[in-house]
Amino acid sequence: MNTDKHWYLFCYDIRDQKRWAKVFKIIKGYGEHLQYSIFRIRMTKKQLEKLRWQLTSIMDVEDDLMIVKLCPTCAKRIIDSRDGAKWKQDVPSFEVF
Amino acid sequence: MSINITNEGFFNSHFLAEKTRDNPLIRVMALHALAYCERLFYLEEVEEIRVADANIYAGRRLHEGLDKGSKKYTLELASQELGIRGKVDYICTNAGELIIYEHKKGRSNKGNQAWPSDYLQTTTYGLLVSEHFNRPVKELRIRYHADNKTIVIPFDLNKAKNEILKAVKRARELRSCLQRPPVNVPENLCRTCSLAPVCLPEEEHFAAEGKEKPVRLFPAEDERRVIHILEQGAFISKDGYQIIIHLPDGEKKAISTAHISSLVLHGNVQISTQTIHFCAANEIGIHWLSYGGHYVAALQRGAGFVQRHHRQYDAFCKPFFTTLLIARLCQAKVENQLKYILRLARAKRSTPVQNKKTLEATINAIRHEIKAIARIEKTLSKADDGDIVEYDKLTGEMRGHEGRAGREYFKALACILNLEKDSFLYFDGRNRRPPRDPFNALLSFGYALLYKDCVAAIQAVGLDPCFGFFHTPRSTAYPLALDLMELFRVIMWDMPLIASVNRKQWRKQDFEITGKQVWLNKEGRKKAIILYENRKKEKWKHPVLKYSLSYARTIELEARLLEKEWTGSPGLFARLRLR
Ligand code: SF4
Repeated sequence: MNTDKHWYLFCYDIRDQKRWAKVFKIIKGYGEHLQYSIFRIRMTKKQLEKLRWQLTSIMDVEDDLMIVKLCPTCAKRIIDSRDGAKWKQDVPSFEVF
Repeated sequence: MSINITNEGFFNSHFLAEKTRDNPLIRVMALHALAYCERLFYLEEVEEIRVADANIYAGRRLHEGLDKGSKKYTLELASQELGIRGKVDYICTNAGELIIYEHKKGRSNKGNQAWPSDYLQTTTYGLLVSEHFNRPVKELRIRYHADNKTIVIPFDLNKAKNEILKAVKRARELRSCLQRPPVNVPENLCRTCSLAPVCLPEEEHFAAEGKEKPVRLFPAEDERRVIHILEQGAFISKDGYQIIIHLPDGEKKAISTAHISSLVLHGNVQISTQTIHFCAANEIGIHWLSYGGHYVAALQRGAGFVQRHHRQYDAFCKPFFTTLLIARLCQAKVENQLKYILRLARAKRSTPVQNKKTLEATINAIRHEIKAIARIEKTLSKADDGDIVEYDKLTGEMRGHEGRAGREYFKALACILNLEKDSFLYFDGRNRRPPRDPFNALLSFGYALLYKDCVAAIQAVGLDPCFGFFHTPRSTAYPLALDLMELFRVIMWDMPLIASVNRKQWRKQDFEITGKQVWLNKEGRKKAIILYENRKKEKWKHPVLKYSLSYARTIELEARLLEKEWTGSPGLFARLRLR
């Protein structure tokens, strides 16, 4: 089982408010909300497939989903006016509060 | 080839209490597993170990996303006569003919055939539908999406019935048995099997045939992360698919649940019932530790370990078996202690003469104990079943050797660290409950963290932590967790701790000293947790299996290898050594 992780941009266009809210809630369980319908997520292939499966059951044919996989170098080159630094940092393997 | 699971998903029976009485209906997907590999069937359907991987989710998405055309119907069917149940997709043609239609994400078999497991699955659907409508279906169609092939199989009711009844009979035989069937399928099937990280087929071959080096199907790193909450008065709740940590100063931290492997609550930290339910349903562990670092409780979900516990009890009732395990465990522990001392001694050039002498004496003493344990192991392995062996006496002797070696080891550590008597970290031996000096407080706290991970690993593997083989039953700690821990004390805590002491990372302000007792305070605990967690994610090469993985994963691996000692491929547990 491969546990390698990559950055992904998840962009969607959903024509119905209710569905939009459901999709939003699910993706929040995976990553960080960047802009109106854009998330950034760092995950394994398995997590990606699980997320796509969860979304399929909600989204309609008229909705769109675009997934951009970023290689490590691309991720570091992202220009982000709000917080460019976070793209360069490693994701922690544990957290202490 | 991949194993597809339909979106029927993991069936949750509302009638758990009734399950043991009647012969339960077998899911059609279980027959699919049975045709793929009997061991897979056993692991999933009998032991109820279910692991989803990328392929399985992709397969579910395929089913979810298919055009639900007008002529396609889905039915949930069960047949008492056949003893099976399942959710079926079928088509009714204009001419009124029934056709079973099944989608698979992978490739077809050689471009013109269905795989045996898919064949058995669709045949079963054919039978269910035929019985339901009281007329036979016309044909089975399996569409393989990866190579875009549709395999059409004419349906023969009598032939199908014979085949399915045979499979159901076999499934029931396996169900009533306590032993896992052996690994007995071609390697390529294992490579795409989602249960390989639990089954460890390569390690099994390695144990049996002494192959060069097993392929690693066991994940090298944790996919998700541990969250420690140290802040007293913090409150944990859930919002949608996020965990929210409410800190006492009003600050809130949100963490996506997909990335959490476990929550460790230190002391006075509250957690909502909804969060606990969510964690149980999503395989997120929860561990409660006291403020001082004592293990209090863990979240343990449902039953489902019945066969594993039975096998474990059976094995631990055989004194020959457990005494031999003890010998190997003690050897592993003491040899690792010795190797670490030798390594430290090599690295340190300027040791005062007086210390050098003590050091040499302790090293010799440890060597002596190792030899004594090795002798016992030899006697044991030569003994025949009929021989009268005084197991209790041997166990007692080994405990003595291990204990003496441990005391010498700490003496040697003190010697090598060579701290001044007035240094706040000065120590002259191990003491605990409660620790009496800062160094011992550090040792105790780190071991508590390690203990928590050993309990978690034992839970993940599904063994009963109450039954150990080396540690005596006491109600204050799980004996099996303490047993497993012996392999890791040096590697996972002593080593990073000594390194941090040498780097002068500790300050007197990290400790709370009250009379004769010493504890770490919040800052100190935080430092210790960071040190320990960083160690866990470091990778090393397993000296026996020869593949690299993180220390965190190594604990679970050793727990799985331990179970293999009594499930057919012994010889791999407790062989890990420092270089
Ligand atoms: S890994 Fe191989 S032997 Fe084990 S369950 Fe899967 S297919 Fe069967």
